[in-house]
Amino acid sequence: MTTDVVNQAVAIDIHGLYAAYQRQVVLENIHLAFPAGKWTAIVGPNGAGKSTLFHVLTGSMKALEGSVNAFGEPIARHRRAGQIAYMAQREAIEWDFPVSVWDTVMGGRYGHMRKDALWRRLLPARWHHARHAEAVHEALMAVDMREHAARPIGALSGGQKKRVLLARALAQQASILLLDEPLAGVDPPSEQLILAVLRREREAGKTVIMVTHDMPGARRYVDHVVLINRFIRGTGAPDDMLSEAKLAELAVSSIEQTATDRQTRPAASYSPAQG
Amino acid sequence: MLIIEALSDALVNGLIAALMAVVNLLPASVSDAFQYAFMQRALLTSVLVGAICGMLSCYVVLKRWSLLGDAISHAVLPGVAVAYLLGWPFFVGAFITGALTSVGIGAIERNTRIKADAAMGLMFTASFALGVVIISKLASSTHLMHILFGNVLGVKHSALMLTFVASIIAILTVWLAYRPLLLYAFDPQQAQALGFNTQIIHYGLILLLTLTIVASLETVGIILVVAMLITPGATAHLLTDRFKVMLLISVSIGVCSAVIGLWLSVVFNVASGGAIVLVAFSMFILALLFSPKQGLVFRQWRHRKRV
Repeated sequence: MTTDVVNQAVAIDIHGLYAAYQRQVVLENIHLAFPAGKWTAIVGPNGAGKSTLFHVLTGSMKALEGSVNAFGEPIARHRRAGQIAYMAQREAIEWDFPVSVWDTVMGGRYGHMRKDALWRRLLPARWHHARHAEAVHEALMAVDMREHAARPIGALSGGQKKRVLLARALAQQASILLLDEPLAGVDPPSEQLILAVLRREREAGKTVIMVTHDMPGARRYVDHVVLINRFIRGTGAPDDMLSEAKLAELAVSSIEQTATDRQTRPAASYSPAQG
Repeated sequence: MLIIEALSDALVNGLIAALMAVVNLLPASVSDAFQYAFMQRALLTSVLVGAICGMLSCYVVLKRWSLLGDAISHAVLPGVAVAYLLGWPFFVGAFITGALTSVGIGAIERNTRIKADAAMGLMFTASFALGVVIISKLASSTHLMHILFGNVLGVKHSALMLTFVASIIAILTVWLAYRPLLLYAFDPQQAQALGFNTQIIHYGLILLLTLTIVASLETVGIILVVAMLITPGATAHLLTDRFKVMLLISVSIGVCSAVIGLWLSVVFNVASGGAIVLVAFSMFILALLFSPKQGLVFRQWRHRKRV
């Protein structure tokens, strides 16, 4: 089943991973290899551990056991090098936060800014290296949000919010893109735009990994599918993995699109990683 | 050490002189109150405390840490009492009990079925009770009252210096760590994905909060400091959609309410901590009513125009 991966370069390699929330194990014995330069969809029912897997990859949750490597090195090193971009679910963001679209997307550059000269970092934005503004500009152009750059993020529509989150991930110019349900709850034009952007990223050699409930979209666009429900239930080509029989086995409806398996933020969040 | 002391002495005196230059421009009925040395010390302390509380309150409000701020402010009491007993600087003891309490809250929350709000309520009241017991055994009730409600008119030179140094540290930290703090407040998971150490940022922010609370001890006291850690930020949040502007507005509100509250407390001979907090609250009410975007008055007016 995984033969198509064997001869390819591997972007993220997960080995014997276990993860748990408060002693409740949500991921067990995960062995996975995400092929480099490909577009992978992670599919599974609600509560299957898809978002948890992303929490482990982004470092906001510690695995109980197991290792995660990116291009053969511990993934933490790639995070510090700004090579792992992450697009959060819309519910994970505080949209009342007083920042503009431009500033939000600039957040994707904060990792790279650590490499800038100290004097630049201590001064206001206009003294920053020009390449940061260029990356933000390009990312906003790519998602067709450049004319909204000055607006506060709270004033955007649902689809626009998704596009801004995507732009933030793009602005990072990372080699690996992790997207948690990039298509959930967006209007059809935004969905088409997001899929087109992701296809361009993949063609540019980036590794794209997304959690999705959009089966038609996944069948049409992605190269590789991972079925997950606490354990890995299968990996392979979309045509094999996304058959009705396979999906029924996995207990996901093939037309289910909008469900999210993550709760909204708690009222008084406290722990450092998730607060 | 001597050089640093002399330097900060000079800086404090310079700041007082600068403040007085401004105050003396005001009508004599106002500026007369500030001609005494103790009033000038009180004025500078209030300005500093208003500024750093206003600055930190932006993070407290946006991060939904109001209850945590309240918890830490109460939890520092036993630390302050023990430090007083041992002759240590207040900050050391306060930070130890403040940090212990916040670690305890996290541990209870993670390892039991008790939720965050109950864990906070539990830990900070216990810590506060311990403080009350220690102080009642060691010191007079006047001491307790001063720590609980502040005593800005009795601020000693040493306490002013502590507030001054704490303010410099707080402002420098927010300046140097501006982006990590902003990203952490906005989206901690993104901060983590970019390789920032969110544990360090988290506890750094708690440390900053504790520092601010200790610095405010003499001005508003540990019961009312939480008002200064919420009100300016909440007011500023109603007035702007830009974080930097929010910081500026919040600091201005903190400083203005501290100065106006101090002056009113002298004129009407009432407790200064309470007066400062009430002035800040009135500013919040004004913003609530008249903020261009969020204000109730303009909203009602727009609503009526639509109908």
